[in-house]
Amino acid sequence: MRFTCFPICAAMLVLATAVSCPCVNGQVRTTTSEPELIAIMSSGDTSDEDKALACKRLAIYGSAAAVPELAKLLPDYRFASWARIALEAIPARECDEALRSATKQLDGNLLIGVVNSIGVRRDRESVETLTELLKNPTFDIASAAAVALGKIGDETAAGVLRQSLSQASVEVRSAIAEGCVLCAERILATGNRSLAIEMYDEVRNAKVPMQRIVEATRGAIIARGAEGVPVLVEQIRSPERSMFQLALQVARESQSKEVGKALLSEINSATTDRATLIVHALGDLPNTVEQQSIIDIAANAKKEVRVAAIGVLGRIGDAACVAPLLKIAMESEDLQAPVRAALVDLQDESVNGEILKRLKTAKDETQLLIEVVGLRRIEATAQLETALSSSQAAVRGAALASLGSIVPQDRLSILISQVVAPKYAEDLTAAQKALKEAAVRMPDREACAAELTIASKKAALPTRLALMEILGSVGGPTSLETVAAVAKESDPQLKDVSTRLLGEWMTIDAAPVLLDLAKRGPADKFQLRAVKGYIRIARQFVMSDQERIAMCENAMEAAKQTAEKKMVVEIFSRYPSIGMLKLAVEAAKSPALKEDANRAALTIAEKLKDNTEAQELARKAGILP
Amino acid sequence: MTQPKRRIRRRSFLAKSLGLAGASALPTIIPSSALGLDGTVAPSERIVVGGIGIGGRGTYDLGCFLQQSDVQFNAVCDIKEARRVTVKRLIDDKYGNQDCAMYGDFRELLDRSDIDAVLIATGPNWHATAAVNAAKAGKDIYCEKPCTKNIAQSLVLADTMRRTARIFQAGTQRRNLPHFAFACYLARTGKLGKLKKVYAHPAGMQAMTSGWLPAEEAPEKNQIDWDTYLGPAAWRPFNKKHLDGFNFEKGGGLVGGGVLEWGSHCVDLCQWAMGDCPPPIEYNAPENGELVATYENGAQLIFREKNWIPLGSCPVRFEGETGWVEAGDSGKMVLSSPELLAGRVVEEIGGYPATFHVRDFLDCVKTRSQPKGNAQAAARAHIACHAANIALFLNRQVKLNLANYEFINDEPANRLRSEALREPWRI
Repeated sequence: MRFTCFPICAAMLVLATAVSCPCVNGQVRTTTSEPELIAIMSSGDTSDEDKALACKRLAIYGSAAAVPELAKLLPDYRFASWARIALEAIPARECDEALRSATKQLDGNLLIGVVNSIGVRRDRESVETLTELLKNPTFDIASAAAVALGKIGDETAAGVLRQSLSQASVEVRSAIAEGCVLCAERILATGNRSLAIEMYDEVRNAKVPMQRIVEATRGAIIARGAEGVPVLVEQIRSPERSMFQLALQVARESQSKEVGKALLSEINSATTDRATLIVHALGDLPNTVEQQSIIDIAANAKKEVRVAAIGVLGRIGDAACVAPLLKIAMESEDLQAPVRAALVDLQDESVNGEILKRLKTAKDETQLLIEVVGLRRIEATAQLETALSSSQAAVRGAALASLGSIVPQDRLSILISQVVAPKYAEDLTAAQKALKEAAVRMPDREACAAELTIASKKAALPTRLALMEILGSVGGPTSLETVAAVAKESDPQLKDVSTRLLGEWMTIDAAPVLLDLAKRGPADKFQLRAVKGYIRIARQFVMSDQERIAMCENAMEAAKQTAEKKMVVEIFSRYPSIGMLKLAVEAAKSPALKEDANRAALTIAEKLKDNTEAQELARKAGILP
Repeated sequence: MTQPKRRIRRRSFLAKSLGLAGASALPTIIPSSALGLDGTVAPSERIVVGGIGIGGRGTYDLGCFLQQSDVQFNAVCDIKEARRVTVKRLIDDKYGNQDCAMYGDFRELLDRSDIDAVLIATGPNWHATAAVNAAKAGKDIYCEKPCTKNIAQSLVLADTMRRTARIFQAGTQRRNLPHFAFACYLARTGKLGKLKKVYAHPAGMQAMTSGWLPAEEAPEKNQIDWDTYLGPAAWRPFNKKHLDGFNFEKGGGLVGGGVLEWGSHCVDLCQWAMGDCPPPIEYNAPENGELVATYENGAQLIFREKNWIPLGSCPVRFEGETGWVEAGDSGKMVLSSPELLAGRVVEEIGGYPATFHVRDFLDCVKTRSQPKGNAQAAARAHIACHAANIALFLNRQVKLNLANYEFINDEPANRLRSEALREPWRI
């Protein structure tokens, strides 16, 4: 099976080939020999490209032996990062030494690059060097050193960073704070919790950008474990939006019962907007709070908060939520929509059983439960059939809609009878809609169409019209046969509906039916509709060239007006072939079609420029010189 | 050769941000209206978004953002002047004003304290570096894929988003389309039985080291800023063919090819089907158009070029002990049994629109919940792609240790895990 991917992807692959092709020296792309690569690097004749690519190969195949050649490139802005690609990757202490040494000779961005590489390699022996660089008057260099120390992340680096945090200039302090947080994280991972907490707290109390404080506070809460809950609560109450947001995220990260309990306790004192967000967060902490707590919020809080809690119950609740949710919906009409959505969302497998149990004894909540049955696709045909006799129109409407969603094929007659002989006239539209929804999803389409056909034969005119529409949606041979037969009846309404449906039919087997109508019928609007429907199939559907040519011939014959014939001519050039060219040449003999047909013929002849038969035919017809 | 004189920026971010540390100038709460509960959003409560690198794909993403009533898009950054102007006009036309600011350097955009989130749609060379810098500047991030250039970047990306407590959404929009989501749900929840194989379509498996093209005369910096375009990629001379962004330093040490370009979508879906578990631990060289990787639990991730049911681009297939499902970009899926639907009607949305994915991101910006394409999930999927590319490049099996994400006793493979960034960039 061939697969078509995006054009952009194909373009990308073409470029990939272009980029990867060696332009000058293929050897550098393929060799795995370190001596060869070093020789390429050290040769005075090596192109810039090969020098760069040699660095990339040395990143994979190089050793300490390559370091001197690589280090030579560090002062060259064109090759410095190529060299560092290898120096970062080669696992040899000579790389660290070379980078350290380079810090003494470089400045500006080149120095920053080297410092960054030291950080990536986490070279502990560079702490002293980096400590010096922290004092560099160029802020970006000092900042790079601070972050590199953070990446090294041992206690020595931690000491340097802590000391600098209070002393450094304001411009560097953010990077020092970043280094401290990185460092604290590593130190926490080694088990030194108290030092990590000290570092986080120092950053929290420092005059650094808010984002650094956010990061340190997150670390401070997590490093403290259960003892971090008060710090988290402090953030929940913070007037700073970013700190409140942080608390919501850390709470989710923690997944602890203490945190869940703390969040719950803050809901009543929080503003409505914040309480809503706290409830959303509780929804992501399903094992930390009792379901009853969320139910209580859903029942008693302010409306916005209740809506959030109802949504959370839908996500994390079980069958025990069904009764309280129903109660909420009955007490507050404006909460019925979120309750319905929550009842549909509930994942627990016992929920369906609970809903059916409630439906048996339901009173005011009957309509809602019936709606949920349909939306959850619960098999409850018998109960819904009973509900069709309810004295309440809304209940009957819900039952019809839900039957549309769930009725099985062997009970489709329930809905057919509601359409053919509705007990309540006001239910007819809902019944027709439900029957259509059910009919189009029936696994045995032909059996469904046959059942609808039988029903239509006995039905009154308005019902027959509705059943024709449904058969049109169902499709298939049986539906086609029924609609085609109705199209030949004399009633204008039936002819109108059936010819419209045939004109829009989605399968090619409607073509002979339409042709028959087009040829046999009087020259009225139904005949015209049949011709146009036939032409539509010839123009749009997939078929062989021979079949399409035959259809075009038939259409030219059946079309009674020039406008329709021109529609056929338009098809010729869409599917250029000798057969279509012949049809175009023939059509050009008609004065009314001559211009269009000649244009089509010319288009075809141009498209078939390598076909001698076509060229000859076009010349003979005077289309080509 | 010495470095040309380039000013080392002394960013105003620090001082400005310091000013905000003590007392917020922003609303301290998110009103319920901002959650869309009543369908109205006051201008002051909108999420303020800036765009970085808004080209073809970015313009599409931008459209998805502009559809949202709770978004105020007010800044654009691009190294190409013409593109900056075009995107600004697009945004200003939407809002009927002239407020969209233009930047050539994304750090200036990140310095703005009024911007809550950024859309990053640069070429893949920049994705991770820009995302990590944005996170450190306190922005939430919607980032196009592939998000990273190698394994190390993937780990740093996930760690940074966690450490900085930022919301990150990878541009893996298929996670928010119903049929893909349902297929993954079936796999993840055991409805297919014990999951045995997940298939992804890499659409062109190849891995190679990237290089450079012959030098051409560079345009003026104010028209196209080549130095910034190169950004974290190793230096090379200007050549306009690099400017389309595709396969220019996408894979860092290795150019990603289809394994990364498409894998960041289809492998990502396979990972979701697997419950967003850690990536496979063993990757074999491809054989007969299939590259087989094995998860810790024995299930297989198979990069397969052929034999797909024609369901459109980006197909995936999940096979369990009792059933299977296959889905593609047409919006359709094929199931081993209709019983798997359990009466559900799964909406068919073809053409992989990103609207829902953008909405998911914006909702999470407000609630601080994790979006579907979160950094952890994206990192794991990308690591699987990078590791497969390394097996492809070395043309042999590689084994990944999930404890440290290093290859076991395999120095060449480990050296391909990361790649130095050009100065002054770091992540």
